Amino acid sequence: MSVGPTPPPKLQVKALNCPGCGASLTVRSFGNAVTIVCDSCHSILDAKDPSLQILQNFKVATDKARPLIPLGTRGKIRGTDYEVIGFQRRTIHVDGLPYSWHEYVLFNPYKGFRYLTEYEGHWNDVSILKALPTVNAYKSPPTVTYLGETYKHFQTAMAGTSYVLGEFPWQVRVGETAEVTDYISPPRVLSSERTGKEVTWSMGEYMSGADLWKTFRLPGDPPQPVGVYENQPSPMKGDVQNVWMVFGALLLALVVLLIGFDVSAQNKQIFTGSYKYDSRQRGEASFVTNDFELTGHTSNVEVETSTDLDNHWIYLNYALINEDTGQAFDFGREVSYYHGYDSDGSWSEGGPNDTVAVPSVPAGRYYLRVEPEGDPGYGVTYYNVTVKRDVPQYSFYGIALLALLAPAILLTWRSISFEHMRWAESDHAPISSGGDDDDD
Amino acid sequence: MTTMIRALYMAYGGLVLLGLVVAQYQGWSLARIDEVKNVPRSVRDNPGSYRSVYSSYHHYTGGK
Amino acid sequence: MTQPTGTCPNCGAKIVFRWSSSVQTVCEYCKSILICTNVDLQKVGEVADLPPDSSPIQIGTEGSYNHKGFVAIGRIIYEYAQGNWNEWHLMMHDGTSAWLSDAQDEYAVSFAAPGRKMPEAGQCRVGQRFSWDNQEYAVTTITNAHYRGVQGELPFQYWDKEDVLFVDLRTETGKFATLDYSDEKPALYLGEMVEFEDLALKNLRSFEGWS
Repeated sequence: MSVGPTPPPKLQVKALNCPGCGASLTVRSFGNAVTIVCDSCHSILDAKDPSLQILQNFKVATDKARPLIPLGTRGKIRGTDYEVIGFQRRTIHVDGLPYSWHEYVLFNPYKGFRYLTEYEGHWNDVSILKALPTVNAYKSPPTVTYLGETYKHFQTAMAGTSYVLGEFPWQVRVGETAEVTDYISPPRVLSSERTGKEVTWSMGEYMSGADLWKTFRLPGDPPQPVGVYENQPSPMKGDVQNVWMVFGALLLALVVLLIGFDVSAQNKQIFTGSYKYDSRQRGEASFVTNDFELTGHTSNVEVETSTDLDNHWIYLNYALINEDTGQAFDFGREVSYYHGYDSDGSWSEGGPNDTVAVPSVPAGRYYLRVEPEGDPGYGVTYYNVTVKRDVPQYSFYGIALLALLAPAILLTWRSISFEHMRWAESDHAPISSGGDDDDD
Repeated sequence: MTTMIRALYMAYGGLVLLGLVVAQYQGWSLARIDEVKNVPRSVRDNPGSYRSVYSSYHHYTGGK
Repeated sequence: MTQPTGTCPNCGAKIVFRWSSSVQTVCEYCKSILICTNVDLQKVGEVADLPPDSSPIQIGTEGSYNHKGFVAIGRIIYEYAQGNWNEWHLMMHDGTSAWLSDAQDEYAVSFAAPGRKMPEAGQCRVGQRFSWDNQEYAVTTITNAHYRGVQGELPFQYWDKEDVLFVDLRTETGKFATLDYSDEKPALYLGEMVEFEDLALKNLRSFEGWS
């Protein structure tokens, strides 16, 4: 309970007049502002001076920068209501080209000041650091450690203030420059601002425009983000590692299946026969083999043709016929083998043997009908036909492996290209981008 | 996001492996095979009477 | 808890002390600066109109630090390049004194730390390091401030100063120290930066438009 009769007055929002042009100014920060800017005549006024002495008058070179969040708007950041009271545009030059971003001064009479920065649709919630981070200058490029987290150097540039509006808790001047250095650890960024001998550190955390638009209840949509921002969190963060771990598990399962099927497959030779084909002979060349039993569950049948071909070919019409059901599997195999020498050395094409897997053959009694064809002028070819039941087909494992790999590789590639886009804007751009900022 | 990606990938991987199991168990193959039904028993005694889909094969005409 | 009382020698108003160890207080009615002697109160000066300030804290604001409750019972106001700041004199519930520094809504609680080695005023440079109580502090700011006034109860005499020199130091863990060169004998205060929320302040000032 207060002892005296005069408790301090409730602090009021002030309405003042600009000494330069008479326009009315609203002062929202209850005496916390150091400078206040008149939007009509672009005079920067000393907020601590009762007569609002004019400190600087700046010309607006290009179009007026308009804050996307109007001064006086209130929104909740980290559970506290803040009011937008100031706005500035700052510009750096990289390879002669200007790049500008915007900063908003937020105020709460109990909590003080916070800042929002916006660049090409990317937003950051920024506050001044109380404790000092540790600069690891011995590293090249240098890193900074703060609260157990290490931040990597992203960019150093001279930033100039090119437009100001509203109230600021420090002295602003259009044209004043500061050396700004950003260190990133997405989604956070540590910035140091150096003017003369004074260094101020601040920490920013990436925010989505949509969240801001919601809490400040702004109409329309936030600006669409362009490219990847320095501390923009990767949407695939953590996913890459996870996906490869799952791949490892799936690969293990694949290997287990391979071994399992290898062990449990019959892989038995059921029939083999040796034949001779003389292509010069006229008349019916087709013949049938003795019948044989194919057992077990429905599985494949491997038919191998091994020949003594040497620089020639033979074509075999096969039909695997089920004696009881009349079901037949009809296929043709061309076997050719050519080889020789030329200026590049020895070459060969094809091979003397051929193997084919007939799919999903039910168990039963079968025989093979064979009809060979060849070059009528050639002569004799000796060949063997071998039938094997339930042979593991390794090509499917290869296909499965590729199918399993595809998402992991895709995700990893997307993550890498995201990070590539991030660093393309930094002082340490990957060589392929030519050291310039690519327009994205 | 991470748990969803992991679950989706595991489900996808499971499907791939399931397909693999079916293919191996049923004895699938990539070969071009035609199925013919109702082949008469007479083919055993007279192989020439069987008309193959592949009988109109064009001869391979040369080497390299 | 009995609160000592007295009478303002200038205007006769009743003065109630929150703290029995107060050395100086200001009469809220006539703004006279009063020193407490063993016998009575003596007027030594007057406080000019305090500058308009925007601190959310006022005399009577209650809060807690390190699980100990406190009441703000007095303050010293300084002016510097960036504006004003307040050193609020806190009376902890156990009767000890503490200070709450309130500058641009940045807060630090510190306690007087007598008996430690202190550098001379001219010796300090930004970045220079000193050690007290096994902590290493680095000088962050050297401020030439202008004494602007006092309010409420203080544990020592402090009035009518002109320009005073403060050296602020910080550690990398958020600890805070101030070297106060306003008197012939420099004083050291050790403490830490605190967040507004962590002080659980009640009975704060009200601002138009903010509940």
